[in-house]
Amino acid sequence: MSTGVPGLDEMLRGGLIAGRPYVVSGTSGSGKTTLSIQFLHDGVKRGERALMVAIDEPPVEIRENVRAMGWDVGKIRILDVHPAAKAFSKRVSLVEVAAQRSVGSLRDAGPSVKTEAMKAATPDVSVQSLQLMLKQELQETKYTRVVVDSLTSLKKLSESTGDTDEGIMSLLRFLSEARVTSLLITDLPDPTELQPEMFISRGEIRLHKRMISNRMDRFVSIEKLRGSAHDTLPRPMVITEKGIIVDPKKKISKASMRSLQAFNQ
Amino acid sequence: MLKEKVKTGVPGLDEMLEGGLIAGRSYIVSGTSGTGKTTLAMQFLLEGTRKGERVVYVALDEPPNEVKSDIEALGWDIGKVQVFDATPDVMNYDKTPVRDVSTERKVVYFKDVSGVIRQTSEKSPADMTINTLQEVLKQEMRSRTYSRIVIDSLTSLKYFYIRTSEQNTTLMSFFRTLSDLGVTALLTVQLPEISKPDVESHVSRGEIRLHKWFNGRGLVRGVTIEKYRGSSHDCRLRLLKITDHGIVIKQMTEDERPAVLKPEPEIEPMHPDTEADEPPPPPKQEETAPVPPQAPQPPPPVEEQPKPDASPQGGDGI
Repeated sequence: MSTGVPGLDEMLRGGLIAGRPYVVSGTSGSGKTTLSIQFLHDGVKRGERALMVAIDEPPVEIRENVRAMGWDVGKIRILDVHPAAKAFSKRVSLVEVAAQRSVGSLRDAGPSVKTEAMKAATPDVSVQSLQLMLKQELQETKYTRVVVDSLTSLKKLSESTGDTDEGIMSLLRFLSEARVTSLLITDLPDPTELQPEMFISRGEIRLHKRMISNRMDRFVSIEKLRGSAHDTLPRPMVITEKGIIVDPKKKISKASMRSLQAFNQ
Repeated sequence: MLKEKVKTGVPGLDEMLEGGLIAGRSYIVSGTSGTGKTTLAMQFLLEGTRKGERVVYVALDEPPNEVKSDIEALGWDIGKVQVFDATPDVMNYDKTPVRDVSTERKVVYFKDVSGVIRQTSEKSPADMTINTLQEVLKQEMRSRTYSRIVIDSLTSLKYFYIRTSEQNTTLMSFFRTLSDLGVTALLTVQLPEISKPDVESHVSRGEIRLHKWFNGRGLVRGVTIEKYRGSSHDCRLRLLKITDHGIVIKQMTEDERPAVLKPEPEIEPMHPDTEADEPPPPPKQEETAPVPPQAPQPPPPVEEQPKPDASPQGGDGI
């Protein structure tokens, strides 16, 4: 499956194997959301159905950022899971949560509008409720590409609701069984810890940015990719008004390479 | 009287192990992601099929259909290897009663594995636990004897099927079950990029650690034997290559040794103690069992030299 990012498919030796979960990691501002939108947009261009699960930024902001790129992203569907302003709630069943959050076209995204009752009753978002929402969504629409932006925030939001690791695994399994190719956006993983989504995902695309003597170096590396050969070196990338472009033939600067090796094993 | 040794099927590795693995024991294959653990474990199982043995792969990380397609992408035929799908189901958040999973999941040959992922049953959410896994293995072993087993990965087993509070005892009991069954077992362990020793290191009879690092030109892979109770072994870092015919272990030449790299002054140093390019091996004092008679203390595993232009070693694999 093509990623929609020129140069990245070459690094992946053809693209992503469909139907599997992948992680897109990097620090903030490294281009993860941009890459994910590009991935969804590529699907839509091919007549596929694509879904963005928006947790970090509300849909209207995503729409604005994407419009600034000059893309028409009307056909990308978006599930607004952005946490509402903290409100105390009475117990609401998960099915009701799923009914309240609705999927709209990215084009129609406006400020989140909720009735007073819904505002009062909105419980915290969790991995569990997301799985239920996606189940409903996928029953109606055969999405082939889904992005979760971001898994890190989802985990933080779910902290209070019990075993998040199991829930994350269940979510990934659910997406695989639904034959969805999913991109899960995460922050850079803590190198001293093992996070289940990191070792369960079938690949990790890591985005980097470094200030090297007053210049911003951006590059991408394939940290892992199961079932396929891949470029083992990091490659330079740029974010243009057309999106991200990777140069799979060029090497990154020596200074950037050294900064990687300082903490790579 | 030396115990019988089992050949791993990885050229060069048996030499490092002074003949192979001692039969009937459990060993860890550890490494960070992409170092080749599943590939090595599968090569070990294939060696068994070549000798006409019954071997089984217990899938915990990736579902069998994906393992099958990944390994077949290397050009290997694993049809004769048997597989047990122990991957966790999609959670059913309804509170319906669960059925015993051992009635639903069976050991099958890889050649009979379908091309698509197993669907979680809507009606009876199967609740796999470590006990059910042990029961399945015991049941299977009653009807046919497996000589080799791979658990891929022990890390997933810990994360998804063992409660943290009971971790140590449950793990030890699991290793005990394996040794009672008499199988030679390889269990893969995922390491974080900067790792610390964990309970598996104590309980296993040996650990084979896989490494990968950059040497400026490309990716290099290596292997060390971190521990091997009951046998002498090669303690040095050796080169590992993933070829069309599988993993091959070689001696390392001078210019292939990993280089020491220090961060540039204008870049904020990240982790000053990771100038070594592999995680430090677990300190030998932590072994609880009495140290068996072994070859004299080995030299330190890695000699670090500032050689940025080592020959490029490409390598791809699982």
